Amino acid sequence: MPSARAHEVLYESEAALRLVDQELTGLHDVRDVGPSVPTISLADLPNILEQANAQILNVLARLRESRAALQTTALERLQTTHEKIREVTTATEDAAINIMDACDRATQMVDELDTIDSDVAPDREKAAGIRATLRDELFLMMGALQFQDITSQQLAHASSVLIDMEERLLEVARLFDHNTDETHVSFAGSAPDERTFDPNATTRNAEGRQALADELFTSVKVPAA
Amino acid sequence: MKFLVVDDSATMRRIVINSLQRIGFHDTVEAGDGQEALAKFDSTIKFIITDWNMPNMTGTEFTKVLRSRDDGRQVPVLMVTARSVKEDILTAMEAGVNNYIVKPFTPQVLKEKIDALLPAAAA
Repeated sequence: MPSARAHEVLYESEAALRLVDQELTGLHDVRDVGPSVPTISLADLPNILEQANAQILNVLARLRESRAALQTTALERLQTTHEKIREVTTATEDAAINIMDACDRATQMVDELDTIDSDVAPDREKAAGIRATLRDELFLMMGALQFQDITSQQLAHASSVLIDMEERLLEVARLFDHNTDETHVSFAGSAPDERTFDPNATTRNAEGRQALADELFTSVKVPAA
Repeated sequence: MKFLVVDDSATMRRIVINSLQRIGFHDTVEAGDGQEALAKFDSTIKFIITDWNMPNMTGTEFTKVLRSRDDGRQVPVLMVTARSVKEDILTAMEAGVNNYIVKPFTPQVLKEKIDALLPAAAA
């Protein structure tokens, strides 16, 4: 169910609850006034109860629909968020392993350079080759740190989903308790700026995604902006 | 040749600038978003490498504004971004981006794209 529909259902549920509240208040007022000043006859009572019953059934139906809406939209988004957080863990681990491997190779090369340096007639050409490879390794280590930019976008997306879920749950809570806002500290103000992250950001299949971009830039002619 | 590197991630700016230095381009200017990039852009900038998702002004918004200026119509813009769905790539093209690199990228891909755009930068 789209979020707009979920919002509508919540709104209708709240409206129905208010109607029931109104009916029950009416009944309460009748009881408080007492038999000496009857504002309605006893004969009207079945009719009022029937109306209240209909409203309660309506409320229950709306609540069931609200629950379904929350289950569908909220669970789907939370599952996606869960996958994103798992990907952050994997990307972090992959980058750490790549950097450690490069460190190991770099250390070996430094040892080789030490060996060459200790020779009576050092092989300068070989040493130059090793130094060039060492620079490549250091550069690869730096490149591996790109994961930080992508994972920060994934975490920003996860954070925005959680704040959105918080707002949805608050809407439900407000149906039952209008004092919810007074006791709740909202994080909505600290939500990440949606312009700063891509919800689909990933470290996976960079080659395939680059190939798509290359294909489009080669095949599609766009009029100059 | 002077490069303008635009990215809200300081890590990514360093990676791009180090990559540029490695392939022989040492003259670089940095900006953290599109607004800052516009403020720093002048006729001495011959090549722009920009991210998409940034606060205040995104990479596509920056490119559109740049293309509307007389001094910004011809400068090559290479977008380096995590966004990689077809619609996004087409949006970038429509904004006036000349080529596109998907993060995470390799230094080889960066070099290829820069080499391909160099004739336009030198013009």
